[in-house]
Amino acid sequence: MKTIRKILLGAGLVILSQTGLSAESGFTLETVDPEADRLALQNYYQQRFPGVPLEDYVNGIYAIDPESRKQWDALMEFPPYEFDLEEGEELFNTPFANGKGYADCFDNGGIGIRQKYPYWNREEGTVKTLEQEINECRVNNGEAPLPWKKGDIAKISAYMAFTSRGQPFEIDIPNDDPRALQAYLDGKKFFYAKRGQLNLSCANCHLQGSRVLIRADLPGPMLGHPTHFPVVRSKWGEIGTLHRRYEGCHRDSRSVPLPPQSEAFRKLEYFQTYMSNGLVVNGPGARK
Amino acid sequence: MKKVTMILAAALALPVGSVQAQSFEQAFNQQRALYGKGHTFTYENKTYKTDHPEEVEAMAEPNRTNAEALIASAEAMRVKSAELGYEWRDPVRYLKEAQEALGQGQYRQAMNLAARAKYQARISIAQYEDAEANWQRAAPE
Repeated sequence: MKTIRKILLGAGLVILSQTGLSAESGFTLETVDPEADRLALQNYYQQRFPGVPLEDYVNGIYAIDPESRKQWDALMEFPPYEFDLEEGEELFNTPFANGKGYADCFDNGGIGIRQKYPYWNREEGTVKTLEQEINECRVNNGEAPLPWKKGDIAKISAYMAFTSRGQPFEIDIPNDDPRALQAYLDGKKFFYAKRGQLNLSCANCHLQGSRVLIRADLPGPMLGHPTHFPVVRSKWGEIGTLHRRYEGCHRDSRSVPLPPQSEAFRKLEYFQTYMSNGLVVNGPGARK
Repeated sequence: MKKVTMILAAALALPVGSVQAQSFEQAFNQQRALYGKGHTFTYENKTYKTDHPEEVEAMAEPNRTNAEALIASAEAMRVKSAELGYEWRDPVRYLKEAQEALGQGQYRQAMNLAARAKYQARISIAQYEDAEANWQRAAPE
């Protein structure tokens, strides 16, 4: 009888231990806590790469891989985005046909505002990104929208990011509008959900896979990811937007990728950028 | 007391899977991975083959009617996967090639390609369902 009791006790504990492992915490609208997520992420990286200052994560893989850092430091003696930046400033300051310009569409004339993007737009009930509002500005002033991934939109965005350099990200999730928190949660879910024939999530490469070789590449850490966009990627040989990178990553998992500025990608950017709150804007950047 | 402590420790260390019998799905996947399609194996005293349902469908008589039916059901599965936002890269390509094979009267080839597309679309839907249930497991807390 004693033995049977002990076996039953053991079996009960097995079930309890498994139930405990699968208990939910922060994964529903009722329980999700963005600030706890942000601190947990910082804690994860501090344990994973001890001694790397949090503020250095704005430099992506170059914060955590000394060999890559050496090459990058050499590259940054003549930053490859400088011409794009100049062109971006010129484009930003060139009036539309109706005489108005980008400065008329944004707070503070569009200068020093990058750290507030993306944001939750209560009236429209959606996440708005900087590139999205650049194109909306054009359309509202009778101009054709720009292609999302590269070229002029990336250059204008690069210039606007440059005017915010050194400003800490301050992404807000208004607590009086549950739709904003839902958008954050959707972005978080997208980041952690496995996709594509290769069964990879964003997190597989950019959380657990940070500085782990994937063939010849070292994926950068998720913390600080959006701070340096738009970027000139050596692989692209030109400047591109964050959503261009999202599309590429999504395709690399052997998925049919979502289009840039799709709602899912904008929510992903909302989540990712909130995770980088407190880190400074350092875009545009240069990456492999 | 010492025994109870040991049972406690063992219970906590023991993953649930190790006290459960291998499921049919696990057995099938293991045999499939080891021997590929067309292999015969035994599970709980019954005999099975390592063919996916779509491969079984593709074994039907190769004619226009069967090829069209398989292509249509594969396309429906692909559309469902796309609607969930989990469409994989290759099914659309396989289906295009299946249509081309159908046009050339290569019914067996068309059915094999459609079966491959349908299988991938089905697994992508299973991936969606798994992600819905388990996405949070990778998040740091």
